[in-house]
Amino acid sequence: MSEPAEPGLSISESASLERGYRRLLAWYPKWFRLRNTEEVLAVLMACAQDDQTRPSLEAAVDLLKGAARMRLRPMPGQPRTVFAAVWLMIAGAAAELGVMVTLLATQSGIKADLIARYPAYAHAIGHAVNVQVTLDVVAGPIVIAVWLWLAWASSRGKQRGRVAFAVFFGLTSLSVLYSLSQGSLVYAPAAMSAGLGIWAIAAAAIMLIFNKASSPYFQRREPALA
Amino acid sequence: MQEATFLILTALASGAQHGYGIISDVADISGGRVKLLAGTLYTALERLRADGLIGVDREEIVDNRLRRYYRLTPDGEKRLAAEAARLHSHATAALRRLNLDLAGGAA
Repeated sequence: MSEPAEPGLSISESASLERGYRRLLAWYPKWFRLRNTEEVLAVLMACAQDDQTRPSLEAAVDLLKGAARMRLRPMPGQPRTVFAAVWLMIAGAAAELGVMVTLLATQSGIKADLIARYPAYAHAIGHAVNVQVTLDVVAGPIVIAVWLWLAWASSRGKQRGRVAFAVFFGLTSLSVLYSLSQGSLVYAPAAMSAGLGIWAIAAAAIMLIFNKASSPYFQRREPALA
Repeated sequence: MQEATFLILTALASGAQHGYGIISDVADISGGRVKLLAGTLYTALERLRADGLIGVDREEIVDNRLRRYYRLTPDGEKRLAAEAARLHSHATAALRRLNLDLAGGAA
């Protein structure tokens, strides 16, 4: 089958079209780009119309759909257990973000509610809520960054990422146990439920990355990327 | 099996082909009805590679562009043969019930 050599395109048209395609291909996961970018570009350029300077809407939608599909698949050689664990860790980061935003949005309501219940401690309650919110605003982004780093390290099969996740899970479990022992389920049921939900996500992720099917992926010497 | 997947495997059944070759061949096989776009083609090729139904035959550089040839694996041949037999038996049953023969004329 002969492949036409990009007919009818001047050098500048061809360069502009190729730039457009490269921008679309940038949405694909890294492993796919390393493996396929030059080849897909060759096919796209061979399929180009005369005088075409920009990707067509149809081709752009098709490439973006392909990029989404590729991101929803494990990378070559990655067990499904690891892939699922990585998405759980991203869900963990999203849940932490949700909790932080909810807390910031409802802090004045929480403060007013507590003061209405215990008017004698208004000053102390105001101070305590402010301290708690400040702590959460500082700690929240750090915890979200840790979740995302753990997801990145696990997706690439880094053994230290798996060990770090075990430590992180241990700390999360201790913090949940401490909150339960302090009666959080009674005086802050919403926050405690969110904490238990996030702990459950971490528990599922740790079972997946320490699953028998995942272990060989973390024990290789070569980096995960194909 | 999706139609695009079936047609891609069929295009590779007679020998190794590169991406553009597969697109042209699929258009021929389907009488111009199925025009594969690059995003769809490479999504399918990656899935078929991961499932072990196709493999890379060889790579060439032509006009400074990479050209990678894909071929069916023995598993791919088996899957395609099974799917073709399944479709053939369904089509035969449909034509028989409509009192049409496979040549397309009325019996």
